[in-house]
Formats: sequence, C-alpha cells, structure tokens
Amino acid sequence: MEFLLELLTEELPASHIRSALGQIEAGFRKELAAARIEIVSLRTLATPRRLIVVADLASGQEDREEVVTGPPLAIAKGPDGALTPAGKGFARSQRVDENLLEAIRTPRGEYLGFKRKAKGTPAAEILKDAVPRILGGLSFPKMMRWAESPFRFSRPIHGLLCVFDGVPVETSFEGFKATDETVGHRIASPGTIKARNFAEYRAELEKSFVVVDPEARKSTILTQIEDALAPLKAKVYPDPELLDDLTLNVEHPLVVFGSFPEAYLSLPLEVLSTAMREGQKLFSVVRDKKQLPHFLGVADAAADGKGLIRKGNERVLRARLEDARFFWDQDRKVPLKERAAGLKNVVFQEKLGSYEDKALRLKKIVSYLCDKLKAAEIKAETIEAAGLCKADLLTQMVKEFSGLQGRMGGLYAKQEGLPAAVHQAIYEHYQPGSLEDASPTSLAGAVLSIADKMDSIVGVLGVGIQVSGSSDPFGLRRNAHGVCKVILDRKLRFSFPLLLDKVLAVYGDRLTVERAAVKASCLEFFEGRLRFMLEKRGSRYDLVAAALGPGLDQVYDVLPRVEALDALKSSPQFEPFILMAKRINNILKGLPAAKVNPDIFVEKEERDLYSMFSIIRDNAQPMIARGDYARAQGITFKIQPVLNTFFDKVLVMAEEKKVRQNRLGLLQSINRMLLGIADYSQVVVEGEKPAKPKAPR
Amino acid sequence: MSVQDLILNLHRFWAEQGCYLAPTYDLEVGAGTMTPDTFFRVLDKRPWRVGYVQPSRRPDDGRYGENPHRVQKHFQYQVIMKPSPADIQDVYVRSLRSLGVVLEDHDLRFDEDNWESPTIGAWGVGWQVLLDGLEISQFTYFQQCGGIDLSPVPVEITYGLERLEMFLEQKDDIYDLDWSADVTYRDLRFREEKEFSEYNFSVASVVMLRQAFGACQKEAARLIEKDLLLPAYDMCLKCSHNFNLLDSRGAISVTERVKMISQIRALVNDVARRYTAVKEAV
Repeated sequence: MEFLLELLTEELPASHIRSALGQIEAGFRKELAAARIEIVSLRTLATPRRLIVVADLASGQEDREEVVTGPPLAIAKGPDGALTPAGKGFARSQRVDENLLEAIRTPRGEYLGFKRKAKGTPAAEILKDAVPRILGGLSFPKMMRWAESPFRFSRPIHGLLCVFDGVPVETSFEGFKATDETVGHRIASPGTIKARNFAEYRAELEKSFVVVDPEARKSTILTQIEDALAPLKAKVYPDPELLDDLTLNVEHPLVVFGSFPEAYLSLPLEVLSTAMREGQKLFSVVRDKKQLPHFLGVADAAADGKGLIRKGNERVLRARLEDARFFWDQDRKVPLKERAAGLKNVVFQEKLGSYEDKALRLKKIVSYLCDKLKAAEIKAETIEAAGLCKADLLTQMVKEFSGLQGRMGGLYAKQEGLPAAVHQAIYEHYQPGSLEDASPTSLAGAVLSIADKMDSIVGVLGVGIQVSGSSDPFGLRRNAHGVCKVILDRKLRFSFPLLLDKVLAVYGDRLTVERAAVKASCLEFFEGRLRFMLEKRGSRYDLVAAALGPGLDQVYDVLPRVEALDALKSSPQFEPFILMAKRINNILKGLPAAKVNPDIFVEKEERDLYSMFSIIRDNAQPMIARGDYARAQGITFKIQPVLNTFFDKVLVMAEEKKVRQNRLGLLQSINRMLLGIADYSQVVVEGEKPAKPKAPR
Repeated sequence: MSVQDLILNLHRFWAEQGCYLAPTYDLEVGAGTMTPDTFFRVLDKRPWRVGYVQPSRRPDDGRYGENPHRVQKHFQYQVIMKPSPADIQDVYVRSLRSLGVVLEDHDLRFDEDNWESPTIGAWGVGWQVLLDGLEISQFTYFQQCGGIDLSPVPVEITYGLERLEMFLEQKDDIYDLDWSADVTYRDLRFREEKEFSEYNFSVASVVMLRQAFGACQKEAARLIEKDLLLPAYDMCLKCSHNFNLLDSRGAISVTERVKMISQIRALVNDVARRYTAVKEAV
C-alpha cells in the first residue's frame, strides 16, 4: 500500500536536503524493519521547500501465531489423558476451548498449552509514532530556532502531508497535523492542492509549477541547455556540482540564456567563470575550448516571456565583470614580489606565524625536495615560486573571489613575465583541491604543492590541533589526500619520514608538541588517509592493510604493492602462499630474534630452503629498491615449493636448542624479506573469518 | 518610482504590519542591525515590530564616486518582527508586490546565506533574497545577539534600498537614480562619496582614530560599570566606526584586527548581559 509524506518548509540549503534525504530513508528503513512492516519499495524526493518520501509498504504487520503454555503436562492431565483441575483451570483462565489444548514440547519438557493467532498492528498505527520520531531526529549542518519554540531544524516548517493508502495518517509534527494537502509554487501558483496518492500528488504539483523529482528537474535543465546552445554549436562548461546544487535550488527549472559584452572576454577564463559561478551560479558557454560572451542560468519560474529574468541577470553579471576588470587592472600595478612583503601582516595560524614565515619555510622545503628528487633544473624557479605563491592573498581579486587563490597569483606572475616554471608552480600549488581534482602538471607545481601541504599538516598537528570526526578546521585530510595524490600521480619516490624530519627542522622551536610525537602522528595520519584513498580506488581492505604493512618509507610504493596484490589475488598460488606466510608468522609470533648460520644446518631440506631463499632475496632486493613490487612478489612466490617440503620434512621446534634457533632464524629471515613486500598476515583468505576492517581515520 | 517613493511605500506597508516607524539613528553604523532599535529590542522577551531607514557606512566600500554600484554609505530599510510570524516569507513577498513588482515575470529566490556580525556578537540563519540574480534583501532569523541566545526569535529583513531602486528603475548606475522627482542620487551623494573616499582611504588621521578608539573603549567600560548601558553601547558603536576607518586606512594588521573586534565584542556582550539582567530584575 502506498505511503506518501511531504514535509513543507521554507527554502532549505542544497547540502541540508542531501543530508536530510539520507537520514529520512535510513530512519524509515530502520523504524519499519523494527516494527516488522515490510517495505516493498521506498524512495525519497525533494525540492527546496519539500522533503518527500514515497513508499510501498505492507498494510500492517503479518498476523503471528503465538504459543501460550500453561502447567506441565504431567500436572495438567491425569493418567487417563483427561484434564486435571489444574488443566481445566488453565483453559478457563485463558478463555480457550478445552478441545484446542495440546501438548507443547519445550526444552524443559512437555507442557499443556495452545496456539492462537495474534493480529498484526496496521502500518498506519506504526507510522503514527514513527513519522514524528524520524522527522524530529533529523540533524543539519547548521540548525535554527524560530518564533517562540525551542525546537531546532534547518528552516521553519510549514506543513505535513502524510497519507497511507489514501487516508491521512493520524499524526502530527511540531504542531502540524498531518493532512492530504499542500501548496504549489511560491510565486507561480501558491494555492492549496489535495493529494491522496503519489500519482495525484505529482500531477497536481506539476500543474502548480512544482516538479517533485530532482532527476526530472535535472534532465529538464540539461535538455533546455542543449536546446539553447544548439544554434550556437556551443557547449556549456561542465560543472556537475553546480548542476546538482541548482537542481535542488529550484522547484520549476527554467534555463535562461544571456550574454555579456565581448570586451570582458579579455579577462582570464578563470576570472570569467568564477564571476559567473560564485556570484550568480551561472554556467559558462564554450566553443572549441574558447569562452563565448554568453551564460546560462537556471531560474525558478514558469516562463520568462518578457525576457526580464534574462535582462536582470545580464545586468548583475555586467556589474560583476566590471568589478573584476577593475581588480584585474589594479592588481597588476603592484608586482607580486612587492606585494609579498605585506604577507608579514597576514596570520597563517596564531602559533605558526604569518604567511611570510610560511613562505620562508616553503623555500627551504622545496629546495630539499628538489635535491631529493634530483630536479636541479627547476630548483631555482621552484624556490622563487615558493616565495611568491601566497602573495595573491593580498590582491583585490582574491579578496573578492577566494576560490581563485593560487591561480590568480600564477596569472599575475605570467603577466609580469616571470619564467614559465615559476608562474605555473604558483598557479598549480593548491592543486589537487580534492581527490577528483587533477594534480599539478608541472614538476615545480607538484613540489610546491607537496611542500605547502606538508607545512600545514606538520604545523597544525605540531601545535596540538587534532583531526577527529567532523572536526578538521584546517582541512588537513584534504591536504594529506593532495600530498598522496601528487606523489601517486607523478610516481615521486623520496623518503617520506626524512621529509617529515626536514619540515620539523624547518619549524624549529615554533611547534609546541614534541618532534617525535608529531612525526608519529603524521605517519599514522597519512597511513589512515592512504588506506581511505586506496580502498576508494576499489582495492580490498585486507590487501590495502597488507600493502601498508611495510610502512611509509616510500609513500609511492604502497600503490605498486597493493597493485601487485590485486594482480595476484586470483592466481591459484595466491591462497597457499598466504597460508604459508601466515604459518610462518604464527610460528614466529612472540619469539625473540635468532640468527641463522648456514654451516650448522642438519637436513637437506633446510639447506635447500636457505639457498633458494638467498637467491630469491638477492634478486628481489633491487626490485624492491626500485619499487617493482609486481616482479618482487612474483619471484618470492617461487619459495613456496621448497618451503612446503621444508615444513613436511623438518621439525622447526627441534629438541636441540642450537638447531631450533637456527631454523627459527631462517624463518625470520624469510619473514623479514616478505614483510618488505607486504604484510601477508593481513590478507583474508577463504574460510577465514574476515577481521573487522579498521575504521578509516 | 523614486527612492523616496520606495521608502514611503515600505513605511506604509510595514506600518500596516504593526511596525513602529523609527527615526534614523544619529550615529555612524555599519548596518541597520546595530542601532538600539534592533540591538536592545531583540534581547528581551517582549514582542517588538519596527521599521526604519538607516544609512550604513562601510568606509572600505568607497570608490570615489567612480563605481556604478559601490558606495561607502548606502541606505538600508530595516525591519524587525519579534517573534517571527509564521507567514513572514509571504508577508515579505507581498511587500515586493506592493512596490509594483510583478513577480510572475521574475525569478525570486531565497538563497542560503547565514549572516553574522562578530563585532556585536550576533548571528542568524536565513537567506539572501535574489531577484533575477540581484541581491535585494537579507532575510535572517536572528539566533544570537550580544552573545545572548534570543528567545523569542526575531526575524530581520534588510532591504538594500539602492539595489532595489536600481531594479525598479532598471538603471545601471547608482548615481542616475531619482531620489525624488527632481533630485537625483548624484545631486545628493556624488560629492560626499568622492570626499569621504578620499578621507577614508588617505586622509583620516590614524593617530586621532587610534586615540578615539581607545578613549571610547575606556568610556564604554566606565559606563557599563555605572549601568548606563545605552550610552555605553553608543561608545561601542563609535569604537566600531573608528575601527572601520582605521581598517580602510590600511592601518590594522590581521592579528590586530581580530584583537580589536574581540575587544568591541567583549564590551557589547557585557552591555547585553547587564541589559537583560537589569530588565529581568525590573
């Protein structure tokens, strides 16, 4: 039977809608499952003013058979099988016909009893309590009170439509009694409408200029965009985030096509698209990767018959572009180097000093990294970029459009005629802003990006600010993802712990937390972030854990390690090899280190194993050193038959201590070699109970 | 419709909603929110409805009269309704219709925007109201003021009069607006914008402003001790304006900025705390 709910509110932010729909769906699934109401289907929809649930539910709980037990059979019935007074008394007290009584077998013996049908509770009864509980339990990123109530929600509530099987559910939420009524579009058709089922609800609202399904709104927007641009043979600059937000910002999408004077095309693309997007949520229009003097907006209106919406948007955009042009002209009058001097007045973090201090640190860190990466050819340029990269924080353009930080500096540096490596590095040093964002394309940009982010992470953790749950005020997770992504994308190999030492040394005595502790928490933090990233790429959690086992000496190496495991996981040798590695691990668990001496082997099999191990180790070591884990792993797999024979024929825990120690020493050497490639004991193989994956930090 | 017609219309409209029409406050403020008719009246439990025009000074926004839509002093129409009426969005929409705007021909949007004023320890949740992409109002459910949780919750609606007028007159330059039938915005404001921009950015005496800031700060603290809270609050407003001038003179480093804002806020919070305590005692 159909259940339909609409919570009518004042305009909700898009992020609140997304979060609420997830919570509402989970809430209904949980409540209904707990109440034993079968869900055939359930989905959520929304507009900026409506949170909607449509579900197909069972009419109520299934009727259940209940077993009622009375006295033990031996007491309830006589030897002749007739009911004793105790048995009769039970029947009377339960108001049940004596003929329906039967013997009930229980683990404690046989009892007199009977079965009866218990009527299930109707779904409407369950919903009555569940609806206010679910809605009242919603939480939002920022909550508010209104009027005279202490109740907190995203925005004020205006009504509750809640019908089950065509009838309003007898419930209420925050003083709103559930009805079968709602209202149409705020401007185009604000009257009341009635809806007893979803088909009616959707159709009536459609007539009232409200499209309740976000997917339908999105496809309308896309079609209208296509129609508007077809004559120009142009395309909209793709911006899926903006599209998603706009879809949740309007009840009745109307794409508006507009233009701006061509003179503004002399502004950089970055500035044009930011002015359109940030200020007015407009899409840019491009043809052959060139910006055209047009835009597309999404209005919440029935029509723009008089073209007033278009004209209005054009005027606002023109004013914005005029501002941007003013900033562009003004900012270029002061060279970045001169501007950078002002950074001493801009605080990076209270305890970590100003942006000038940061720039000085960045110069030292990039210089170190260039040495380690043997990138002498870009060293001078990267150092120059490090000194200038934060100067654009003081430009008017970045004060107006903070999203352009970095890129703006790069553009101004280019205008000043600074070398390509310098302006490119400045331009790219915030990249990647997210895991989906591209890494810097230039090596200098990559180096500066890593340096900037490492400086922030080490500094912030170093003054005792913790990242936990939703609290990450300095965006350290994003910064760590950025560092890892750049390293992985560009295959940069350098010692990560030594970089941490360098950054710590550059900070000198500014940090309040002890160095070793900062280093340890950085390593742990990065391990958690890499785990998250690799699992997100689709690797199994246990293989990721195995690949992280050898540690973070080379951050990059974690990737080929997990790729090697991914590649081999379906080979027939994989599982026996893992089991063997685990066996070694188990034998050695808790034992002190022992030395192996090839001269005192007793059995042929242990000698064979040792020589095989030596060959494999000598071959694998250079492969590991250069990060070729696929081949290193392939070659170590070859130890398996010899090791098998060894376990079959040789008793590791020999009576004689010297022999025993020597054998343990041999296994320890093998184990050490394996641990350099992956911690195979973390891998879960068939038949084993999977260990609970560690929660990502 | 001229600017003064717009003001007259809004006055009539909000008077009909039961608002008391307050005269403009006679001190420099950055926003209508900061005047006593809002600041003190939202703190207590009594219902309150007020509407008024308030010149708002933002020295940093000065453009020497050369920018068609940025000025260092603009005019706000400020409305406070406490407690927030359930139909306040509809009332607001009607106020726009009362100005002759045929909303069916336009795109009216309530776009998430949470307002805060760290100087007076105030914040709220709401929207900027956009008309065809132009921000014409700020619509806020006030949650806290002077560091005090507000109950009942007031709703604050602030119309940017010049923005709205540019929309109504379909003009691209603020100085071309008609204030009345024969006086333009340029006649009234152009010279003022030019001279004040010069003063705000280049001429104002940093030494004098710093001394004034310090003196008003001290005086505010002294008045708070004597429970002369309205005069004390005036001193806080003077601190705030001196601070804004120092800022536009480029005389304040970022660290100092944070410090000065928190100094003003501490005084304002003291005023609010004492004001509510005294009120309750009465």
